[in-house]
Amino acid sequence: MNAAKWVCILFVTTALVLAGPSCSRRDDGDGQVTVCFAFQDLETEFWVAAHKAIIETLKSKGIQIIERNANEDANRQLEQIRAAIARGVDGIIIIPQDGESAVTIVGEANKAGVPIGVFNRPPANRSKPALVVVADNLKISEQAVTYMAEQARKLGRKVTPLILVGDLGDSNAVARRQGFMNVIQKNPDLFNEAVEVPTKWDAVTAQANLEAALQRNPNVDLVFTSSDFLYPQVRAVLEPLGKWKKIGEPGHVILGGVDGDLRAARWMKEGYVDATGVQDLFVEADELLKALLEAMNSGQKTPERWMEDPGFALTQANMAERAMDMWGFKLLAEQGPAGAQ
Amino acid sequence: MLENILQFDGISKSFFGVRALEDVSFSLPGSHLLGLIGENGAGKTTLMNILGGVLAPDSGRMRLRTADYAPRRPADATGAGIAFIHQEWNLFTNLSIADNLFINRFPRLGRSPFINRTVTRKQTAKLLESLNLTLSPETLVDRLTPGERQLVEIAKALSTGAEIIIFDEPTTSLTAAETQRLFDIIGGLREQGKSMIYISHNLGNVLELADDIVVLRDGRVVDTGPGRDFTIDRMISRMVGRAIDQIFPTRESRPSQEIVLEVKGLSQTGIVKDINLVLHKAEVLGLFGLMGSGRTELARMLFGLEPFERGEILANGVLCSRICAGDCIRRGMAFVTENRREEGLLMEATVVDNVGLAALPAFASTRFPRLLRHRQLSEAVTRIAESMRIKSGPVARTLAKNLSGGNQQKVVIGKWLMSRPAIFIMDEPTRGIDVGAKHEVYSIINDLAAQGAGILLISSELEELMGLCDRILVMSKGEITGGFNRAEFAQEPILHAAFKGHQRLSQNGRAGQR
Amino acid sequence: MAGAQVHRVLVFGWGKALAVARRILLSENFVLYLSLVFFGGLYLFMPYIAGGRNLANISSNMWPLLALVLGQMFVLILGGIDLSQTSIMALTSVIGGMLMTTRLDPALFAKSPLWGLLLSADGSPLSGTVLAVPLGIAAMLLVGTSVGLVNGLAVARFRMPAFMVTLVSMMFFSGLAIYLTKSENIMYLPDGYTRIGSGGIGLVPWSFFVVLVLGITSHLVLKHTVLGRWFFAVGKSVRTAVVSGVPTERVIVIGYALSGFCAAVASILYSARLAGGRPTLGQNLLLDVIGAAVIGGISLFGGKGKVLWALFGVLFFVLLSNALSMLALPFYTEPVVKGSVILLAALLDVTRTRLLAREVIV
Repeated sequence: MNAAKWVCILFVTTALVLAGPSCSRRDDGDGQVTVCFAFQDLETEFWVAAHKAIIETLKSKGIQIIERNANEDANRQLEQIRAAIARGVDGIIIIPQDGESAVTIVGEANKAGVPIGVFNRPPANRSKPALVVVADNLKISEQAVTYMAEQARKLGRKVTPLILVGDLGDSNAVARRQGFMNVIQKNPDLFNEAVEVPTKWDAVTAQANLEAALQRNPNVDLVFTSSDFLYPQVRAVLEPLGKWKKIGEPGHVILGGVDGDLRAARWMKEGYVDATGVQDLFVEADELLKALLEAMNSGQKTPERWMEDPGFALTQANMAERAMDMWGFKLLAEQGPAGAQ
Repeated sequence: MLENILQFDGISKSFFGVRALEDVSFSLPGSHLLGLIGENGAGKTTLMNILGGVLAPDSGRMRLRTADYAPRRPADATGAGIAFIHQEWNLFTNLSIADNLFINRFPRLGRSPFINRTVTRKQTAKLLESLNLTLSPETLVDRLTPGERQLVEIAKALSTGAEIIIFDEPTTSLTAAETQRLFDIIGGLREQGKSMIYISHNLGNVLELADDIVVLRDGRVVDTGPGRDFTIDRMISRMVGRAIDQIFPTRESRPSQEIVLEVKGLSQTGIVKDINLVLHKAEVLGLFGLMGSGRTELARMLFGLEPFERGEILANGVLCSRICAGDCIRRGMAFVTENRREEGLLMEATVVDNVGLAALPAFASTRFPRLLRHRQLSEAVTRIAESMRIKSGPVARTLAKNLSGGNQQKVVIGKWLMSRPAIFIMDEPTRGIDVGAKHEVYSIINDLAAQGAGILLISSELEELMGLCDRILVMSKGEITGGFNRAEFAQEPILHAAFKGHQRLSQNGRAGQR
Repeated sequence: MAGAQVHRVLVFGWGKALAVARRILLSENFVLYLSLVFFGGLYLFMPYIAGGRNLANISSNMWPLLALVLGQMFVLILGGIDLSQTSIMALTSVIGGMLMTTRLDPALFAKSPLWGLLLSADGSPLSGTVLAVPLGIAAMLLVGTSVGLVNGLAVARFRMPAFMVTLVSMMFFSGLAIYLTKSENIMYLPDGYTRIGSGGIGLVPWSFFVVLVLGITSHLVLKHTVLGRWFFAVGKSVRTAVVSGVPTERVIVIGYALSGFCAAVASILYSARLAGGRPTLGQNLLLDVIGAAVIGGISLFGGKGKVLWALFGVLFFVLLSNALSMLALPFYTEPVVKGSVILLAALLDVTRTRLLAREVIV
């Protein structure tokens, strides 16, 4: 028995060790076009909607999809991409955990000659070619905050602004904060120093920190959230303080955010929220998929294109004409009158 | 009633080719107590396991009154009215007596899931009364003495309506008074018509109690008969298959004048006070005392397992300070603890691993990667196992937990022999092992002394100490209360010294009985 | 009657089959056989699983995990557990990254407590020098072992339960890693280092050699040294070990230190693979580590363990993960399947122990 055991071990180890990276061609088997869609834990409405949009578009083109959830683990995502490549896919779409791991994973795809598209969270640098769609977060939030500043000016006094900052490992969060700061710093006569509340993109953390911040600075008149998914936490903190009021009512805190989800849509309609910076989610998904499919069809192995979604700011002023351009409003309309909270 | 209540007919059982029981047949008449004796490994435990539904026999059958009895699991045995009082008690120490008795059949309030505490208490009180136990049903088992706990076990057995009660080594942890109380209760049970099987190494007790005696050896019944026809000699010779002329081997060597261990003024508040003793080369020094006299604690202090506040210990003339077990071993000391299962053995390890444990550094290269010399170690272990006649399967594969008590104890002693110690402390080395193995341990002690080791022997059996030792020291309540040379050995004065500080002597003054 | 004959043959055959099944079940190499059978089965459905690229993936996923499991094995043999291995990975990844990186973006790192002291836009004082990589690696190993030492002292000297000590360690050092980098990932590591993650000698990856050395050393220690015997003794019964003169405290401290060291080795391999110092490295790996150990047969109760078992457990576990990756199952089935397999492995362990225990001599 012992000899057999050693033979087995030797066989297994040899097989595993000698399996070099340059071996046989990856094999599809069925001739059908396959795309691997690797993402992280669809935590907010934005990601759920994005996931849905991408899946539906791919399905409509008759493409087989392999979905992988990396649970916010960059190493796992790397292994999943490698496995997909070994299995044989024609294209890859990823939502990476952060910019740095995106670079590494894009590198893997490049090495194997599989075209890869990166959605919404861009790689930290452009050293490795990929198709990237990213929202111009800076400009979007700038636009939204500019409108909010105009509303602040109407108050005729100095205003204390507050920003809920996202996870600074996410370049989108960094850009949104920058957009906010640009406007604040451009109007030193109007604004006191901004209160920054870190959230790490976590709702529980956000609420706790926001509570603490408002205890220290009770006279905040303007709140900007780096992402709409934090609105329920904002409401939970402001309402007991009597600050959750509609526009025009006394005690109204000027409210704005970025994303454009269903909740933002509802509360804009009801008059609590002043402005929302909108990432045009459907356009982003469309653009990326179009570019990827084109690359797949034309046999490009390492396509490179950096697509920017300029987005726009939906405000109380332009809501009448442009509401349906915001994906949250579209979702709201789909739900009908009995929309959920 | 003389009809047979239980009958074994040709029961046989093997484990992997090893015959544990062969054609065992005997009967238990109603209202009788049957003494079942035999060395460890003779098959008593296997037979009881078959009776209790834990194992199934390979062939043969059992009859309960007139019907066939073939339990498939322990619950069947309980249901048939058979109860076991084991050596290791199955009581929940954190619960009360009442809870323990009714743990799986609490009387309820009507149909609800709530316990009817009044009824529980009353029934428990009645049971306790019938056993002459003046304890409240709400007493936590934790607070009971071993003797009282055993009686609770008996109460539990009675409360399930047992008609046949099996006692497995019931007096191991009992005092003399408790043993007597147990015997009284057994008498009462007999009058109530219960039948009993009594397994014990204490042959004197068996003689006193048994109506019939069955002797097992190597899985076979080698002798049966009415109790009154038996003598201790007959029992021993049938058990062992040879006549043992004397239980204690002759001490041939004389202790030398050289001192190997000296203790001066050792004290630890509440445990021991001002202990002074001297152990010579080639000497067997006995340490006697009642339970709780501080002997084990003293031994542990000598070996560095417990701290002490004042005093000095000199091993081979060298002062020991801040000692730990490892230091003591390096100084040539060895310690056979009283608790072999938890402190003497690695139950889940092989015989080789166990025997080699304390001497490992001696079988490794001295410099950094202390690589073991496996073959030398294995040879040394085999040699020791053979010289001690340890009966086990292949030493590199048999686990310690699968050995009988006597063999386990030999493994523990063997472990210490590997480092050839000059000072041997043994705490109750023959507890829970059969007569044959005991004799072998006595021989080993003798040989060790002859080879020059100094042995400190702690035991609760006065006969054992009187048979083996050159000197006996007596401890009571943490102090040394007497010392006797071999010429002065006599039971009365030694016991007297052991009871100093206690209020009254037990019934017949025999504290040495197990 | 023919019926009775057939019946007897069936019963006999069934009995034989059971006996064979029982022997295989109790065999030491059970998990190896299981892995091979599993692999064979998968091959029938997915031939690309035996393709060179996939085998390379399996291989490159196995070695760093095996390093972790080897470390955990020491602690498990002692009857303890090391929950902090993953945060040791994170901490060492960050420290190594900081020492080796050639470029740090001030926008991201200016808030780090080490900015100005050790870090600047060009990295650490070591960046760019020949010593950066070896010193960085040495620092990682040192930090990993030190954390392990601290764990071991708490368990041995202060008698705190291993679960609690390593859980606290996990939280503390994970937080420390995030604090030091303000949760940023460190990029721009020198090629000399990242090559460990992707290159090798010919077709054999570097990680294999590293873990091979680690595995052989571990085996030597466990089987051929006094310390190895002491590990098992302490794991089987601390009290008996104490009475028998084993320096139990020292043994426990060394066990946890080894676990920390192995975690640092794993961190070196994983960080090279991801080309970055990451404060979140290995966050979700703990289940994989313990799962692989249990599947391989290393008992959670202590006293049992072998390097070969670690290898088999990791092999099976990585094969399982690989298979799950290959199948087009909905993504939420993966943790369910993994959890079930680990549960089965634990049940198997219990069953095997019980079967072996039945062989009692009276």
